[in-house]
Amino acid sequence: MTTDNPLDHSLEDHGGNAKFFVIFLALCFLTAMSFFTYSSYWPRALDSDSIKRTFMMVVSCTKAILVILFFMHLWWEANWKYVLTIPASLMSLFLVLMLVPDVGFRLDNASRERRLHMAAEQTEQEPADHHEQTDGEEETENSEPKEH
Amino acid sequence: MLLQYATFRAWSVPGNSKWEISAYTLDQAMSHDEHGHSGGFEYHPGLPISNGKTYMWLFLSTEIMFFAGLLGTYIVLRFGAAAWPSPHDVHLVEEFGALNTAVLLFSSLTIVLGFEAAKRNQAAAAKGWILLTLILGSAFMGVKAYEYKAKFDHGIYPQLPRSQIWEKADMYYAAAVRTRLTDLRAEIAASNAEQQQLSQNESELSGKDAAWLSALKESEDERSRRDDICAGLLATEGPVAQAESIVRTSQDLVVINAAFQQLADTIVPPHNGGHEESTHEESGDADVHHVALNDLHPWLKLPICIPGGNMWASTYFLLTGFHALHVLIGLIVFVCLLCMRLDAASAGVIENVGLYWHFVDLVWIFLFPLLYLF
Repeated sequence: MTTDNPLDHSLEDHGGNAKFFVIFLALCFLTAMSFFTYSSYWPRALDSDSIKRTFMMVVSCTKAILVILFFMHLWWEANWKYVLTIPASLMSLFLVLMLVPDVGFRLDNASRERRLHMAAEQTEQEPADHHEQTDGEEETENSEPKEH
Repeated sequence: MLLQYATFRAWSVPGNSKWEISAYTLDQAMSHDEHGHSGGFEYHPGLPISNGKTYMWLFLSTEIMFFAGLLGTYIVLRFGAAAWPSPHDVHLVEEFGALNTAVLLFSSLTIVLGFEAAKRNQAAAAKGWILLTLILGSAFMGVKAYEYKAKFDHGIYPQLPRSQIWEKADMYYAAAVRTRLTDLRAEIAASNAEQQQLSQNESELSGKDAAWLSALKESEDERSRRDDICAGLLATEGPVAQAESIVRTSQDLVVINAAFQQLADTIVPPHNGGHEESTHEESGDADVHHVALNDLHPWLKLPICIPGGNMWASTYFLLTGFHALHVLIGLIVFVCLLCMRLDAASAGVIENVGLYWHFVDLVWIFLFPLLYLF
């Protein structure tokens, strides 16, 4: 084993391969858990899109952490991993948040002409209710005379 | 921020005077007894990893920012949109996404096992694991290509002029449907004229091929059938004319919108999303995927109405396209790896390639729920 850094221990043996198979099985289980919100066993009390999506993102973050820690070897690395990951994570989160005021709220000041030609607004409910709600919403939104 | 420390000894002559200066910025100084050497600097690495690994992690940091920007844009656009199609509206099959996830996770495992085999100087085993990783990555690309084709076949493209997605079923949508049908009839008429001209020329030749003549007749019949279908759709009693006539006869916006929506539903039936499939089964209606014009006659390729569909198509193809590009680059690197001897001396290279591949897997771990399950 060769490395240009005498302090580099990543090429040393850290035990057998069994742990990687265990992590893989855990990842497969978590992937299946992503569909748990679709099953009939999902608690009725938690039957909200926001809760379901939060659950899915928690599952995804858990999978990501397992891949980063074990497959990408960070579990056995020194403290430099915090220097790398924490600023990058903060910047990523900051990047998303900075888009919210401009792009996320772009429809708050949408023009009348834009609202006439864009798709009808949906509510938080299931897409199945879209068509029924669309007619009602358009009746209140498009109260001005139609344009042709 | 790199952590470094330096120990240096400097000798100043004249007159046999010597002075030593030691400076530490990190408490992991490694002392060396060096007597009798002339002056010089000794630098020790601040990070306990190789240069290649350092650079790979720095590169992955840039990639994190890249995909964070794309994913963040998707999240913000999606949740700030007035309307957004369900996965079934855009022919997105969650099972394919889950399959791709399993394939990539398995490929992450195989490349880790390849790295471990290389560390133990098991070159043949390492090559086998890398080959399996390559196969799994290719399988991912195959599934992705199949999904893309399914989108294209339904007229879902990321941009014009191929995209046939309309946001709203209104007068402009009806006009686009009428234009498409009119253009189809014009194409058929042009083909008929061309064939007639060709037949007139060919009739002067002797020894005509029977099979050719038969094929010619079949294509003529097919064009005639298609022309009849287009004519029927454009007729006064057809769906296009009926939707347009209601605009002239009614002042009620609800009725007008319903008429145009009915035209849109005739072309592509409304899907109620994956959560509604159980409802359909409970009610005895197992026909979740209703068949409409674009399904019955794929050659029609009529404009389709998918609220939020254009934004969805743009973000979907952007995210998955860039991800697929990264997967492709990884596959190319795997091919290069297979041309090497993957013994312990190459373990560092395999580790760095593995880091890149795990990152590709990480991106998909977040893409899958955001695109397929939300």
